Amino acid sequence: MESKHRIQITVNEKEYDLLVRANRTLLDLLRYDLGLTGTKKGCDEGDCGACTVIVNGKVVNSCLVLGVEMDGASIMTIEGLQQGDGLHPIQQAFVDSGGVQCGFCTPGMILTTKALLDENPNPSEEEIKHYLEGNLCRCTGYIKILDAVNRAVQLLK
Amino acid sequence: MKSFDYIRPNSMDEALNALQAYDNAYLLAGGTDLLVGMKTNAIRPKCVIDMKGIPNMNSIEYGDGFKFGALTTVRDIEVSPLIREKIPTLSKAAGTLGSVQIRNRATIGGNLCHGSPAADMAVILLGMNCEVRIVSPNGEKNLAIDRFFAGPQKTVLAKDEVLWEIIIPKDIERYKGIYLKHGPRKAMDIGIVNIAILLDADFKSRLCTQIRIALGAVAPTPIRAKNAEALVKEKILTSELIRDVAETASSEAKPISDFRASSDYRRELVKSLVAKGIHQLIEHNAKL
Repeated sequence: MESKHRIQITVNEKEYDLLVRANRTLLDLLRYDLGLTGTKKGCDEGDCGACTVIVNGKVVNSCLVLGVEMDGASIMTIEGLQQGDGLHPIQQAFVDSGGVQCGFCTPGMILTTKALLDENPNPSEEEIKHYLEGNLCRCTGYIKILDAVNRAVQLLK
Repeated sequence: MKSFDYIRPNSMDEALNALQAYDNAYLLAGGTDLLVGMKTNAIRPKCVIDMKGIPNMNSIEYGDGFKFGALTTVRDIEVSPLIREKIPTLSKAAGTLGSVQIRNRATIGGNLCHGSPAADMAVILLGMNCEVRIVSPNGEKNLAIDRFFAGPQKTVLAKDEVLWEIIIPKDIERYKGIYLKHGPRKAMDIGIVNIAILLDADFKSRLCTQIRIALGAVAPTPIRAKNAEALVKEKILTSELIRDVAETASSEAKPISDFRASSDYRRELVKSLVAKGIHQLIEHNAKL
Protein backbone atom coordinates (compact mmCIF):
# COMPACT_ATOMS: atom_id res chain seq x y z
CA MET A 1 0.00 0.00 0.00
CA GLU A 2 1.69 3.09 -1.19
CA SER A 3 1.95 5.97 1.18
CA LYS A 4 0.35 9.36 0.87
CA HIS A 5 2.00 12.63 1.74
CA ARG A 6 0.36 15.51 3.54
CA ILE A 7 0.68 18.86 1.83
CA GLN A 8 -0.63 22.31 2.59
CA ILE A 9 -1.17 24.45 -0.48
CA THR A 10 -2.92 27.68 -1.26
CA VAL A 11 -4.85 27.71 -4.53
CA ASN A 12 -6.51 30.92 -5.65
CA GLU A 13 -6.10 32.29 -2.13
CA LYS A 14 -7.88 29.32 -0.56
CA GLU A 15 -5.94 26.99 1.75
CA TYR A 16 -6.07 23.25 1.34
CA ASP A 17 -4.75 20.45 3.53
CA LEU A 18 -4.44 17.36 1.35
CA LEU A 19 -3.15 13.82 1.31
CA VAL A 20 -1.60 12.98 -2.07
CA ARG A 21 0.33 10.11 -3.59
CA ALA A 22 3.87 10.97 -4.68
CA ASN A 23 3.09 10.27 -8.35
CA ARG A 24 0.20 12.77 -8.55
CA THR A 25 1.13 15.69 -10.75
CA LEU A 26 0.02 19.19 -9.79
CA LEU A 27 -2.10 19.17 -12.95
CA ASP A 28 -4.02 16.06 -11.89
CA LEU A 29 -4.30 17.36 -8.35
CA LEU A 30 -5.89 20.60 -9.57
CA ARG A 31 -8.24 18.95 -12.07
CA TYR A 32 -9.29 15.78 -10.27
CA ASP A 33 -8.72 16.38 -6.57
CA LEU A 34 -9.81 20.03 -6.47
CA GLY A 35 -12.22 20.04 -9.44
CA LEU A 36 -10.47 23.05 -11.00
CA THR A 37 -10.76 21.99 -14.62
CA GLY A 38 -9.87 25.35 -16.13
CA THR A 39 -6.26 24.13 -16.34
CA LYS A 40 -6.05 21.81 -19.34
CA LYS A 41 -4.12 18.64 -20.03
CA GLY A 42 -2.74 18.92 -23.57
CA CYS A 43 0.47 16.99 -24.10
CA ASP A 44 1.17 16.10 -20.45
CA GLU A 45 4.90 16.44 -21.12
CA GLY A 46 5.72 20.13 -20.90
CA ASP A 47 5.57 20.99 -24.60
CA CYS A 48 2.23 22.74 -25.15
CA GLY A 49 1.64 25.00 -22.16
CA ALA A 50 -2.07 24.22 -21.83
CA CYS A 51 -1.41 23.18 -18.23
CA THR A 52 0.26 26.49 -17.31
CA VAL A 53 -0.39 27.74 -13.78
CA ILE A 54 1.34 30.37 -11.66
CA VAL A 55 3.29 28.98 -8.69
CA ASN A 56 4.75 31.49 -6.22
CA GLY A 57 4.49 34.14 -8.94
CA LYS A 58 6.10 32.11 -11.74
CA VAL A 59 4.50 30.32 -14.66
CA VAL A 60 5.18 26.59 -14.79
CA ASN A 61 3.85 23.56 -16.66
CA SER A 62 1.79 21.85 -13.96
CA CYS A 63 2.14 18.51 -15.74
CA LEU A 64 5.82 18.48 -14.83
CA VAL A 65 5.37 19.33 -11.16
CA LEU A 66 4.48 16.76 -8.51
CA GLY A 67 1.79 17.71 -6.02
CA VAL A 68 4.14 16.78 -3.19
CA GLU A 69 6.63 19.40 -4.36
CA MET A 70 4.00 22.06 -3.71
CA ASP A 71 3.83 21.85 0.09
CA GLY A 72 3.71 25.47 1.24
CA ALA A 73 3.25 26.87 -2.26
CA SER A 74 0.81 29.48 -3.47
CA ILE A 75 -0.82 28.67 -6.79
CA MET A 76 -3.02 30.63 -9.16
CA THR A 77 -5.10 28.89 -11.79
CA ILE A 78 -7.28 30.56 -14.41
CA GLU A 79 -10.20 30.34 -11.99
CA GLY A 80 -8.31 32.63 -9.63
CA LEU A 81 -7.78 35.44 -12.09
CA GLN A 82 -11.24 36.88 -12.00
CA GLN A 83 -12.04 39.08 -9.04
CA GLY A 84 -15.76 39.65 -8.49
CA ASP A 85 -18.26 39.78 -11.35
CA GLY A 86 -16.38 41.17 -14.34
CA LEU A 87 -13.58 39.56 -16.30
CA HIS A 88 -9.98 40.40 -15.56
CA PRO A 89 -8.70 42.92 -18.16
CA ILE A 90 -6.48 40.25 -19.72
CA GLN A 91 -9.46 37.93 -20.13
CA GLN A 92 -11.51 40.79 -21.60
CA ALA A 93 -8.69 41.63 -23.99
CA PHE A 94 -8.58 38.06 -25.29
CA VAL A 95 -12.34 38.04 -25.83
CA ASP A 96 -12.42 41.47 -27.50
CA SER A 97 -9.45 40.75 -29.80
CA GLY A 98 -10.80 37.47 -31.13
CA GLY A 99 -7.92 35.66 -29.44
CA VAL A 100 -10.17 32.77 -28.35
CA GLN A 101 -11.44 30.10 -30.76
CA CYS A 102 -11.77 26.65 -29.23
CA GLY A 103 -10.51 28.01 -25.94
CA PHE A 104 -8.29 25.09 -25.03
CA CYS A 105 -5.01 27.02 -25.02
CA THR A 106 -6.66 30.11 -23.56
CA PRO A 107 -6.27 29.57 -19.80
CA GLY A 108 -2.56 28.93 -20.28
CA MET A 109 -2.15 31.85 -22.67
CA ILE A 110 -3.91 34.22 -20.28
CA LEU A 111 -1.89 33.17 -17.23
CA THR A 112 1.36 33.45 -19.17
CA THR A 113 0.25 36.90 -20.32
CA LYS A 114 -0.44 37.85 -16.70
CA ALA A 115 3.02 36.69 -15.63
CA LEU A 116 4.58 38.61 -18.51
CA LEU A 117 2.78 41.85 -17.76
CA ASP A 118 3.47 41.54 -14.04
CA GLU A 119 7.19 41.43 -14.85
CA ASN A 120 7.17 43.78 -17.80
CA PRO A 121 4.09 46.03 -18.19
CA ASN A 122 5.28 47.41 -21.53
CA PRO A 123 6.80 44.56 -23.52
CA SER A 124 8.00 44.85 -27.10
CA GLU A 125 6.61 42.56 -29.79
CA GLU A 126 9.72 40.38 -29.53
CA GLU A 127 9.46 40.20 -25.77
CA ILE A 128 5.82 39.12 -26.00
CA LYS A 129 6.61 36.40 -28.54
CA HIS A 130 9.59 35.17 -26.51
CA TYR A 131 7.56 35.00 -23.31
CA LEU A 132 4.61 33.19 -24.90
CA GLU A 133 6.71 30.67 -26.83
CA GLY A 134 5.76 27.88 -24.43
CA ASN A 135 2.03 28.18 -25.15
CA LEU A 136 0.85 26.55 -28.38
CA CYS A 137 -2.38 27.32 -30.20
CA ARG A 138 -3.75 25.23 -33.05
CA CYS A 139 -6.63 27.50 -33.97
CA THR A 140 -5.79 31.18 -34.15
CA GLY A 141 -2.43 31.39 -35.90
CA TYR A 142 -1.34 33.57 -32.97
CA ILE A 143 -2.01 36.96 -34.63
CA LYS A 144 -5.07 37.73 -32.55
CA ILE A 145 -3.43 36.37 -29.43
CA LEU A 146 -0.64 38.92 -29.90
CA ASP A 147 -3.32 41.57 -30.49
CA ALA A 148 -4.94 40.50 -27.23
CA VAL A 149 -1.70 40.86 -25.29
CA ASN A 150 -1.16 44.34 -26.74
CA ARG A 151 -4.75 45.24 -25.92
CA ALA A 152 -4.25 44.00 -22.37
CA VAL A 153 -1.15 46.20 -22.04
CA GLN A 154 -3.36 49.21 -22.82
CA LEU A 155 -6.22 48.10 -20.58
CA LEU A 156 -3.89 47.62 -17.63
CA LYS A 157 -2.40 51.11 -17.90
CA MET B 1 3.74 7.25 -13.59
CA LYS B 2 4.49 4.20 -11.53
CA SER B 3 4.47 4.73 -7.79
CA PHE B 4 7.64 5.60 -5.90
CA ASP B 5 8.83 6.74 -2.50
CA TYR B 6 9.32 10.48 -2.15
CA ILE B 7 11.82 12.03 0.21
CA ARG B 8 12.60 15.71 0.71
CA PRO B 9 15.85 15.95 2.71
CA ASN B 10 16.72 19.13 4.59
CA SER B 11 20.47 18.75 4.21
CA MET B 12 23.00 17.30 1.79
CA ASP B 13 23.94 14.67 4.41
CA GLU B 14 20.36 13.45 4.51
CA ALA B 15 20.29 13.32 0.70
CA LEU B 16 23.53 11.34 0.55
CA ASN B 17 22.18 8.90 3.12
CA ALA B 18 18.99 8.45 1.16
CA LEU B 19 21.01 7.77 -1.99
CA GLN B 20 22.86 5.00 -0.20
CA ALA B 21 19.72 3.54 1.34
CA TYR B 22 18.03 2.93 -2.03
CA ASP B 23 19.64 1.14 -4.94
CA ASN B 24 17.39 2.89 -7.42
CA ALA B 25 16.98 6.48 -6.31
CA TYR B 26 16.86 9.53 -8.58
CA LEU B 27 17.47 13.11 -7.60
CA LEU B 28 14.70 15.59 -8.40
CA ALA B 29 15.71 19.14 -9.19
CA GLY B 30 13.41 20.97 -11.62
CA GLY B 31 11.74 17.81 -12.84
CA THR B 32 11.49 18.93 -16.46
CA ASP B 33 13.58 15.99 -17.68
CA LEU B 34 12.95 13.50 -14.87
CA LEU B 35 9.16 13.62 -14.96
CA VAL B 36 9.05 13.25 -18.73
CA GLY B 37 11.22 10.13 -18.40
CA MET B 38 9.04 8.77 -15.62
CA LYS B 39 5.85 9.30 -17.60
CA THR B 40 7.18 7.27 -20.51
CA ASN B 41 8.62 4.68 -18.09
CA ALA B 42 12.07 5.24 -19.50
CA ILE B 43 13.00 5.96 -15.87
CA ARG B 44 11.47 3.95 -13.02
CA PRO B 45 12.83 5.15 -9.69
CA LYS B 46 12.16 3.29 -6.47
CA CYS B 47 12.69 6.60 -4.75
CA VAL B 48 12.70 10.23 -5.80
CA ILE B 49 14.85 12.50 -3.65
CA ASP B 50 13.65 16.11 -3.93
CA MET B 51 16.74 18.28 -3.52
CA LYS B 52 14.88 21.57 -3.21
CA GLY B 53 14.67 21.42 0.58
CA ILE B 54 18.46 21.72 0.89
CA PRO B 55 19.59 25.29 1.54
CA ASN B 56 22.27 27.20 -0.37
CA MET B 57 21.97 25.32 -3.63
CA ASN B 58 20.41 27.96 -5.85
CA SER B 59 22.45 31.13 -5.60
CA ILE B 60 24.68 32.96 -8.05
CA GLU B 61 27.92 34.34 -6.61
CA TYR B 62 30.51 36.55 -8.21
CA GLY B 63 33.96 37.00 -6.79
CA ASP B 64 36.92 35.09 -8.10
CA GLY B 65 34.86 33.91 -11.04
CA PHE B 66 31.21 32.88 -10.99
CA LYS B 67 29.64 30.20 -8.81
CA PHE B 68 26.21 28.72 -9.43
CA GLY B 69 24.46 26.40 -7.02
CA ALA B 70 23.35 23.30 -8.90
CA LEU B 71 19.69 24.15 -8.27
CA THR B 72 19.92 27.63 -9.80
CA THR B 73 17.09 27.79 -12.31
CA VAL B 74 17.81 28.42 -15.96
CA ARG B 75 15.41 31.36 -15.77
CA ASP B 76 17.35 32.95 -12.91
CA ILE B 77 20.49 32.71 -15.03
CA GLU B 78 18.64 34.15 -18.04
CA VAL B 79 17.39 37.24 -16.20
CA SER B 80 20.18 37.84 -13.70
CA PRO B 81 21.39 41.45 -14.05
CA LEU B 82 24.87 40.32 -12.98
CA ILE B 83 25.08 37.64 -15.70
CA ARG B 84 23.57 39.92 -18.35
CA GLU B 85 26.21 42.49 -17.60
CA LYS B 86 29.29 40.32 -17.15
CA ILE B 87 28.72 37.20 -19.29
CA PRO B 88 25.70 37.97 -21.46
CA THR B 89 26.24 34.95 -23.71
CA LEU B 90 25.36 32.68 -20.79
CA SER B 91 22.11 34.57 -20.27
CA LYS B 92 21.25 34.36 -23.97
CA ALA B 93 22.07 30.64 -24.14
CA ALA B 94 19.88 30.03 -21.08
CA GLY B 95 17.06 31.84 -22.86
CA THR B 96 17.08 29.31 -25.69
CA LEU B 97 16.18 26.40 -23.41
CA GLY B 98 12.54 25.35 -23.68
CA SER B 99 10.05 28.01 -22.62
CA VAL B 100 9.63 30.39 -19.70
CA GLN B 101 7.55 27.72 -17.96
CA ILE B 102 10.33 25.18 -18.36
CA ARG B 103 13.08 27.62 -17.43
CA ASN B 104 11.29 28.56 -14.21
CA ARG B 105 11.78 24.97 -13.03
CA ALA B 106 14.76 23.58 -15.00
CA THR B 107 18.07 23.87 -13.20
CA ILE B 108 21.64 24.27 -14.38
CA GLY B 109 22.63 21.14 -12.42
CA GLY B 110 19.80 19.07 -13.82
CA ASN B 111 20.66 20.09 -17.37
CA LEU B 112 24.25 18.94 -16.88
CA CYS B 113 23.42 15.73 -15.01
CA HIS B 114 20.83 14.57 -17.53
CA GLY B 115 23.80 14.27 -19.87
CA SER B 116 22.23 15.07 -23.21
CA PRO B 117 24.85 15.89 -25.87
CA ALA B 118 22.50 18.65 -27.00
CA ALA B 119 22.00 20.20 -23.56
CA ASP B 120 22.04 23.98 -23.91
CA MET B 121 23.69 24.77 -20.58
CA ALA B 122 26.23 21.96 -21.09
CA VAL B 123 27.38 23.35 -24.43
CA ILE B 124 27.75 26.95 -23.29
CA LEU B 125 29.45 25.92 -20.03
CA LEU B 126 31.84 23.68 -21.95
CA GLY B 127 32.76 26.70 -24.04
CA MET B 128 33.23 28.71 -20.84
CA ASN B 129 35.64 26.08 -19.46
CA CYS B 130 33.75 25.66 -16.23
CA GLU B 131 34.43 23.30 -13.36
CA VAL B 132 31.89 21.27 -11.45
CA ARG B 133 32.07 20.60 -7.73
CA ILE B 134 30.89 17.19 -6.67
CA VAL B 135 30.04 16.02 -3.15
CA SER B 136 29.81 12.47 -1.81
CA PRO B 137 30.12 10.69 1.54
CA ASN B 138 33.88 10.70 0.84
CA GLY B 139 34.14 14.47 0.61
CA GLU B 140 34.20 17.04 -2.17
CA LYS B 141 36.13 17.35 -5.41
CA ASN B 142 36.33 19.57 -8.47
CA LEU B 143 36.24 18.29 -12.01
CA ALA B 144 36.79 20.10 -15.31
CA ILE B 145 33.57 20.00 -17.27
CA ASP B 146 35.13 18.36 -20.30
CA ARG B 147 35.67 15.28 -18.12
CA PHE B 148 32.14 15.28 -16.74
CA PHE B 149 30.23 13.78 -19.67
CA ALA B 150 30.52 10.08 -20.47
CA GLY B 151 28.00 9.47 -23.24
CA PRO B 152 24.40 10.11 -24.24
CA GLN B 153 22.46 10.61 -20.99
CA LYS B 154 25.53 9.55 -19.01
CA THR B 155 27.86 11.47 -16.74
CA VAL B 156 30.81 10.27 -14.68
CA LEU B 157 28.87 10.77 -11.43
CA ALA B 158 28.98 7.65 -9.28
CA LYS B 159 25.82 6.46 -7.55
CA ASP B 160 26.79 8.18 -4.31
CA GLU B 161 27.87 11.50 -5.86
CA VAL B 162 25.88 14.71 -6.19
CA LEU B 163 26.63 17.79 -8.27
CA TRP B 164 26.86 20.71 -5.86
CA GLU B 165 28.14 23.75 -7.71
CA ILE B 166 29.24 25.00 -11.11
CA ILE B 167 32.20 27.38 -11.30
CA ILE B 168 33.18 29.59 -14.23
CA PRO B 169 36.74 30.92 -13.85
CA LYS B 170 37.26 34.68 -13.85
CA ASP B 171 39.13 34.68 -17.17
CA ILE B 172 35.78 34.33 -18.92
CA GLU B 173 35.41 38.10 -18.75
CA ARG B 174 38.16 38.47 -21.37
CA TYR B 175 36.05 36.59 -23.93
CA LYS B 176 33.24 37.67 -26.19
CA GLY B 177 30.79 34.91 -26.88
CA ILE B 178 28.00 33.74 -29.10
CA TYR B 179 25.60 30.82 -28.79
CA LEU B 180 23.91 29.55 -31.93
CA LYS B 181 21.21 26.91 -31.85
CA HIS B 182 19.74 25.55 -35.05
CA GLY B 183 16.34 23.96 -35.07
CA PRO B 184 13.03 23.93 -36.94
CA ARG B 185 11.46 26.59 -34.69
CA LYS B 186 12.63 29.68 -32.84
CA ALA B 187 11.88 28.06 -29.50
CA MET B 188 11.02 24.86 -27.69
CA ASP B 189 13.24 22.61 -29.80
CA ILE B 190 16.20 20.48 -28.90
CA GLY B 191 18.99 21.73 -31.17
CA ILE B 192 19.80 19.89 -34.36
CA VAL B 193 23.22 21.42 -33.79
CA ASN B 194 24.10 23.98 -31.15
CA ILE B 195 27.43 25.74 -30.83
CA ALA B 196 29.13 28.12 -28.45
CA ILE B 197 32.08 30.24 -29.49
CA LEU B 198 34.16 32.16 -26.96
CA LEU B 199 36.73 34.46 -28.49
CA ASP B 200 39.53 36.38 -26.81
CA ALA B 201 40.79 38.69 -29.54
CA ASP B 202 41.61 42.21 -30.58
CA PHE B 203 38.56 42.76 -32.71
CA LYS B 204 39.92 45.68 -34.68
CA SER B 205 43.05 43.91 -35.89
CA ARG B 206 41.40 40.46 -35.73
CA LEU B 207 44.40 39.06 -33.87
CA CYS B 208 43.10 36.10 -31.92
CA THR B 209 44.62 35.16 -28.58
CA GLN B 210 42.39 32.17 -27.94
CA ILE B 211 39.18 30.69 -29.22
CA ARG B 212 36.96 28.03 -27.70
CA ILE B 213 34.44 26.18 -29.83
CA ALA B 214 31.92 23.91 -28.10
CA LEU B 215 29.63 21.74 -30.21
CA GLY B 216 26.38 20.12 -29.15
CA ALA B 217 24.30 17.33 -30.66
CA VAL B 218 27.11 16.12 -32.91
CA ALA B 219 28.82 13.51 -30.72
CA PRO B 220 27.93 11.21 -27.82
CA THR B 221 28.68 14.15 -25.50
CA PRO B 222 29.05 17.90 -25.97
CA ILE B 223 32.59 18.41 -27.31
CA ARG B 224 35.23 21.04 -27.84
CA ALA B 225 36.63 21.32 -31.36
CA LYS B 226 40.23 21.40 -30.13
CA ASN B 227 41.92 20.96 -33.52
CA ALA B 228 39.93 23.87 -34.89
CA GLU B 229 40.80 25.94 -31.82
CA ALA B 230 44.52 25.28 -32.26
CA LEU B 231 44.46 26.76 -35.77
CA VAL B 232 43.83 30.31 -34.59
CA LYS B 233 46.04 30.74 -31.55
CA GLU B 234 47.92 34.01 -32.02
CA LYS B 235 46.77 34.35 -35.64
CA ILE B 236 44.84 36.96 -37.57
CA LEU B 237 41.28 35.80 -38.25
CA THR B 238 41.12 36.19 -42.01
CA SER B 239 38.12 34.89 -43.92
CA GLU B 240 40.27 32.02 -45.20
CA LEU B 241 41.34 31.06 -41.71
CA ILE B 242 37.76 31.23 -40.46
CA ARG B 243 36.74 28.89 -43.26
CA ASP B 244 39.52 26.46 -42.28
CA VAL B 245 38.48 26.62 -38.65
CA ALA B 246 34.90 25.88 -39.59
CA GLU B 247 35.88 22.94 -41.79
CA THR B 248 38.17 21.53 -39.14
CA ALA B 249 35.48 21.85 -36.48
CA SER B 250 33.11 20.02 -38.80
CA SER B 251 35.61 17.19 -39.21
CA GLU B 252 35.84 16.81 -35.43
CA ALA B 253 32.11 16.32 -35.13
CA LYS B 254 30.86 12.73 -35.05
CA PRO B 255 27.14 13.20 -35.57
CA ILE B 256 24.57 10.48 -36.01
CA SER B 257 21.54 10.52 -38.27
CA ASP B 258 18.29 10.59 -36.34
CA PHE B 259 14.75 11.82 -36.79
CA ARG B 260 15.90 15.43 -36.43
CA ALA B 261 18.58 15.45 -39.10
CA SER B 262 21.09 13.38 -41.04
CA SER B 263 24.72 13.24 -40.01
CA ASP B 264 25.68 14.96 -43.29
CA TYR B 265 23.38 17.88 -42.56
CA ARG B 266 24.78 18.18 -39.04
CA ARG B 267 28.33 18.25 -40.37
CA GLU B 268 27.33 21.00 -42.82
CA LEU B 269 25.65 22.90 -40.00
CA VAL B 270 28.76 22.79 -37.82
CA LYS B 271 30.80 24.25 -40.68
CA SER B 272 28.29 26.95 -41.45
CA LEU B 273 27.45 27.89 -37.84
CA VAL B 274 31.09 28.08 -36.71
CA ALA B 275 31.94 30.38 -39.63
CA LYS B 276 28.82 32.46 -39.07
CA GLY B 277 29.46 32.66 -35.33
CA ILE B 278 33.02 33.89 -35.69
CA HIS B 279 32.07 36.43 -38.36
CA GLN B 280 29.21 37.75 -36.24
CA LEU B 281 31.44 38.06 -33.19
CA ILE B 282 34.01 40.04 -35.14
CA GLU B 283 31.47 42.32 -36.83
CA HIS B 284 29.62 43.01 -33.61
CA ASN B 285 32.66 43.67 -31.46
CA ALA B 286 34.79 45.56 -33.98
CA LYS B 287 32.25 48.38 -33.81
CA LEU B 288 32.54 48.73 -30.02
